[in-house]
Amino acid sequence: MRVILETKPRKKPKIPIEAEAIIPQNFLLKNDIRVYEGNKERTLDEIFYVTTEGPAVSADQVEIVLSGETGVIKRVGEYMNAGRIVIEGDIGMHCGNFMSAGEIIIRGNADAWLGREMRGGVIRCEGNADHYCGAGYRGEKRGMRGGTIEVLGNAGDFTAEYLSGGEVRIMGDCGDLPGVEMRGGTLIIGGDCHRPCGNMTGGTCMVFGTARALLPTFVNAGSEEREFCGQRVEMNVFRGDVANRGKGTLFVRKK
Amino acid sequence: MKVEDVVCPFCGCLCDDLVVEVEGTRVVSVENGCTLANEKFLGDNRLTSPIRRAGGAWQQVSYEEAIEETAAILLDADRPLLYGWSGTHGEAQSIGVHLGELLGALIDNTSTVCHGPSIMAIQEVGHPGCTLGQVKNRADVVVYWGTNPIDAHPRHMSRYTTFADGFFLTDAFLERKVIVVDVRKSESANIADEFVKIEPGGDYAVLAALRAIVRGKRSLIPSFVSGVSREQLFRVADTLLGAKFGAIFFGLGLTMSRGRYKNVRNAIELTAELNRHTKWTISPMRGHWNVYGSNEVFTWISGYPYAVDFARGIAFYNPGETTSVDVLRRGECDACLVVASDPGAHFPRACAEHLARIPTVQIDPHVNATTHLARLQIPVAVTGIDAEGTAYRMDGVPIRTRKLFTGRYPSDTDVLMKIYDRVKEEKGHG
Ligand code: SF4
Repeated sequence: MRVILETKPRKKPKIPIEAEAIIPQNFLLKNDIRVYEGNKERTLDEIFYVTTEGPAVSADQVEIVLSGETGVIKRVGEYMNAGRIVIEGDIGMHCGNFMSAGEIIIRGNADAWLGREMRGGVIRCEGNADHYCGAGYRGEKRGMRGGTIEVLGNAGDFTAEYLSGGEVRIMGDCGDLPGVEMRGGTLIIGGDCHRPCGNMTGGTCMVFGTARALLPTFVNAGSEEREFCGQRVEMNVFRGDVANRGKGTLFVRKK
Repeated sequence: MKVEDVVCPFCGCLCDDLVVEVEGTRVVSVENGCTLANEKFLGDNRLTSPIRRAGGAWQQVSYEEAIEETAAILLDADRPLLYGWSGTHGEAQSIGVHLGELLGALIDNTSTVCHGPSIMAIQEVGHPGCTLGQVKNRADVVVYWGTNPIDAHPRHMSRYTTFADGFFLTDAFLERKVIVVDVRKSESANIADEFVKIEPGGDYAVLAALRAIVRGKRSLIPSFVSGVSREQLFRVADTLLGAKFGAIFFGLGLTMSRGRYKNVRNAIELTAELNRHTKWTISPMRGHWNVYGSNEVFTWISGYPYAVDFARGIAFYNPGETTSVDVLRRGECDACLVVASDPGAHFPRACAEHLARIPTVQIDPHVNATTHLARLQIPVAVTGIDAEGTAYRMDGVPIRTRKLFTGRYPSDTDVLMKIYDRVKEEKGHG
């Protein structure tokens, strides 16, 4: 089954829409799907032109395609456990919160908290991701725990904060403090970043560009080769963060 | 008439030893206050009645009309913002939160532009804090990090630290060691025993290095960390470890520089590490008078200290998403009520421009920068001068303020209660 959701023009287009109900399993069950526009509850067809094509017997067979002004739609794919969501343009905050299986493809940019506390499945963002990609909610001790997030562009600050499992792969640059407080999992940064892995206690981070303002609390532990985009790259290896009992590993490309 | 033990209504120190002379409905002199306090009491040019923008001019309106119009604006909005709250008393803040819930609004206080990051850090790792009284009586080492109390909290040093003798420190000026950490040599740094000059944005690295030193990893420290020499870092760490009772006070230099809440978290974790060796506490230098109270009141009612979004009928909190600077910059809000603060002066330009585009109502005694963005302004009494109520000092101690005289203005509580009743009536809960 293919569900196409195209946004309708709105009087106040900047008011965000909260749409955690947009997940494949809800369309399979033909639930009465509601979304919120600011403090007003709306039916799906008040916000979108809805087209449904073909049948499905399980959520795996449901594909949702979102198009139009989707950059202000939050929480799409929250608790998703099967199927596929394709966003033709940008997507709002918290896309793929807590998702455990399935696939989300974003053709444009993703706003902050992409794949927040994700447990499994795949998110691929072809544009840039904003702050806190793969991170946790405020005060949570664990961010993403499983699955894969791949961002072909750049990511903002605090990428993969509290990362605990799974893999976050940013092909471009990251902002400040990627992998801060990380405790497990793998963070791969194809480009440059600033102060990677502050206060990390576990996990592995690899920076294939330049790591600016590397923190003084990482201890050099030799060098090793790692593979990135089919090439062998010589990397410096650091252990840290020794401001705590840090058992994390940070690889940074040798100049 | 002279009134004694008056609480100052300006900064988070809430000095409660002022002597204020009143003639009729006018303050004529202030004793014991700093220059900021004197200005607050004496430079009191009030707006005389509610005003509404009519074309290019202002028109006077009655309180009833202004309250009716405010309620209508808020009821009509799909994403109203209720911002400010730090300059008023807890009772008014409480009505604000209930109004926010009733409207499905976003309610935020000035922590969003000051110590919001401190609260976020405390939510991650806790808060080894204490009262200012403890510091005054016990602290033999005091650190001011990213804060310049001589300018921002002028009596902090004389009431609680450098110049204040305490129970265990009978000659504080000689017995207390004061360390100032900042990116420039401030006036406070001039009277400190040790000044640590950090490169801008370098606080996180310096705090991480100090944590590592306190953990016994001196050999790993490079010769310079963000402009601070290894020798100075060792000396500072030794002073911190040698304290009998230490107190760190930090300001916006830490919360609003690169890294924000992670800087504060690192400072809290340094404090925690020091507590394995001796007694240390850490406290934010809260600036805006009752901002601490707004965090308390918001938390009692909604569970969250600031940036609370009631759009879905339940409270949701996520700084960066529900903080007023962010929602205004994104142009989300379609109406705003400003109470007891001045976002027109404090917010980035893009936010102020959005406030000018949407119907903004201000409840404030004075004409300020926000007046120029607002459509409607309702003047009220000033808490601590002609209105009474409860406020929290920067260390979380609640203090009751008194009315010095009865004037002709309603208090924030009176006006907000009327708006609340009107909204409740329209929503059919009346
Ligand atoms: S230090 Fe603050 S509270 Fe004390 S008198 Fe000055 S402005 Fe008022």
